Amino acid sequence: MTDRSLIARPVAHRVRWRTPSFDRISFYGLPLVLPLAVLTIWQVATVRGWLAPQILPSPSDVAVTFIDLFVSGDIVTGLAISLRRILVGFALGATGGLVLGVALGRSIRVEQYVGPSLRAIAQVPSLGWLPFLMLIFGLGETLNYVVIAKACFVPIALSTAAGIRNIPVRYIEVARVLRLRRRTMVLRVVLPGALPTIFSGVRIALGHAWIAMVVVEMLADTAGVGYMMTWGRTLFQIDIVIVGMVVIGIVGFAMDAGLRATERRLRQWTPDHV
Amino acid sequence: MVRFFFKTLLAVSFVVLTSTWASAEEAPQTIRFGAVGSGYGQQVGTQVVSIAHIKGFVQDEIGNPAVKLDWNYFTGTGPAINEAIANGQLDFAQYGSLPAIIARANGVPTKIILSGGGTNIYGVVRSALSIKTIADLKGHSVAIQKATILHWSLLETLAANGLSEKDITILDLKTADQLAALAAGSADASFGTVNVLPLRDQGIVRVIYTSQHDNPRATGPSAFLVTEAFAAKYPELTKRIVRGFVRGAQWVAQPENREEALQIWAKSGVSYDSLKQEYAGELLHDRFDPRLDDFFRGQYADGIRFSKDQKLIRKDVDLAQWIDPQYQDAAFASLGLTNFWPSRNRDGIAATN
Repeated sequence: MTDRSLIARPVAHRVRWRTPSFDRISFYGLPLVLPLAVLTIWQVATVRGWLAPQILPSPSDVAVTFIDLFVSGDIVTGLAISLRRILVGFALGATGGLVLGVALGRSIRVEQYVGPSLRAIAQVPSLGWLPFLMLIFGLGETLNYVVIAKACFVPIALSTAAGIRNIPVRYIEVARVLRLRRRTMVLRVVLPGALPTIFSGVRIALGHAWIAMVVVEMLADTAGVGYMMTWGRTLFQIDIVIVGMVVIGIVGFAMDAGLRATERRLRQWTPDHV
Repeated sequence: MVRFFFKTLLAVSFVVLTSTWASAEEAPQTIRFGAVGSGYGQQVGTQVVSIAHIKGFVQDEIGNPAVKLDWNYFTGTGPAINEAIANGQLDFAQYGSLPAIIARANGVPTKIILSGGGTNIYGVVRSALSIKTIADLKGHSVAIQKATILHWSLLETLAANGLSEKDITILDLKTADQLAALAAGSADASFGTVNVLPLRDQGIVRVIYTSQHDNPRATGPSAFLVTEAFAAKYPELTKRIVRGFVRGAQWVAQPENREEALQIWAKSGVSYDSLKQEYAGELLHDRFDPRLDDFFRGQYADGIRFSKDQKLIRKDVDLAQWIDPQYQDAAFASLGLTNFWPSRNRDGIAATN
């Protein structure tokens, strides 16, 4: 009797722990633990006055500023400008990167001519180009587009090339045996085979592009979310700077989450054996 | 014998020095000073504060070799100095009116103790353009850094010439980027400090305006500030330090020291030639008048009004509360300098006394 209950209890206990609702809680809840801890420490730090309020405004002050900036339209206007920049710059850089990447992956000659230079260029951060690009393009949208496009061009070109080169040779051989036309071969064999690798390159590229854009806006522009942060620092209203950081983080996270979801879809579409 | 004599002298002077200190107040280990720097990592600026530093006037007035003086010249200027003050990393600072007004409006507790003198502001245009006067700027793009004395001076000057900011396109850029924008042709004009002169010497820009010559009220004002915490804790020391600053201004004012002053400032990264042009035809006595007189108050009042108009500050600044002339008055009286600098009226005209 006693033996049984002793044995039974942990089993029942374990069953309760394994319920799907807990999995759901841990899935949605655990990622929130760290932000909530940071928020708590932040709140304590401001209440205790560990830092001057001009240096570290309280979370509630930042929330109020966020609402103010949202209602006044400053955030929306800034974000609209930033998103348009990232869209145009990314479209330019990604298209170019994809084309060059396919060429690099398919042709050994192109790889021999261009590959090493491209890898060398990749070592210079996009922002290292900024002072030079500013002199060439002046200040304005062109500069933003060029820096963003440059930031995503290189990772996409390299990942596309790698993705294509990593397609198992036997697929290509089968395609040759089947005498597939060049177009069919690219659309049916090469691209689906390379897609997962290309896509992780796209994700990295978008991350680079977003960071590059924020820094260009902070250094060499007078609009967008990055500029809003510089302006906040100039006015010594660090709450505006923090709001900018939060907005940049959330938008960047959302873009990455969107791409990850797309990536999962694409992986389902491509056959498992790839 | 000689050795004994020196040892005694050293011991006596040590006792005398420490006893004068014990009678007054505990001295801090370090006193931190902040000012505007021009070059990369140069430990000297171009203002009176650098004279008081390099010529040892402040050290001399403090008279206690145990107190370490820490001089910081910030190339990030205004915002960086504001952050350092708010973070408790500075006790004294000399910098421009606008960032100081912004800090004060955000509740950073400081007092204005002396005027720091003015910075000449140059209006320059690309050499290829036919712009000759401020009025010709209409419809052109002007590069300045917003929320600085340059921004303030530009709008004051436009107003004095019947224009407003709506008549031009303002490009908000840092100094180095302004120069790049002018060189690349993406800005037509710029309002800047002595830093624009090398660009003129290279033939890239022409100077069409200088504030000192054309509109002294729009010459960039600066002030010495002390944190309220330091002044409350060390009132005696604060007085001594202000005396040191005033002696710096007095030394600069002597024509025979002009050359040496320029040589000291030239170590900041601003070239000797540029400095020579900055002060050409002018007495340093007038430029570095430390008085908190009507001219100074008027310039700061203009700065506060401007900051409100431009929505740079959310709260008002009460100038009368902010300016504390007691240290300056004490320094003038004890150094016999009460009439050395005449009081100026609102427009900068010296009262005849």
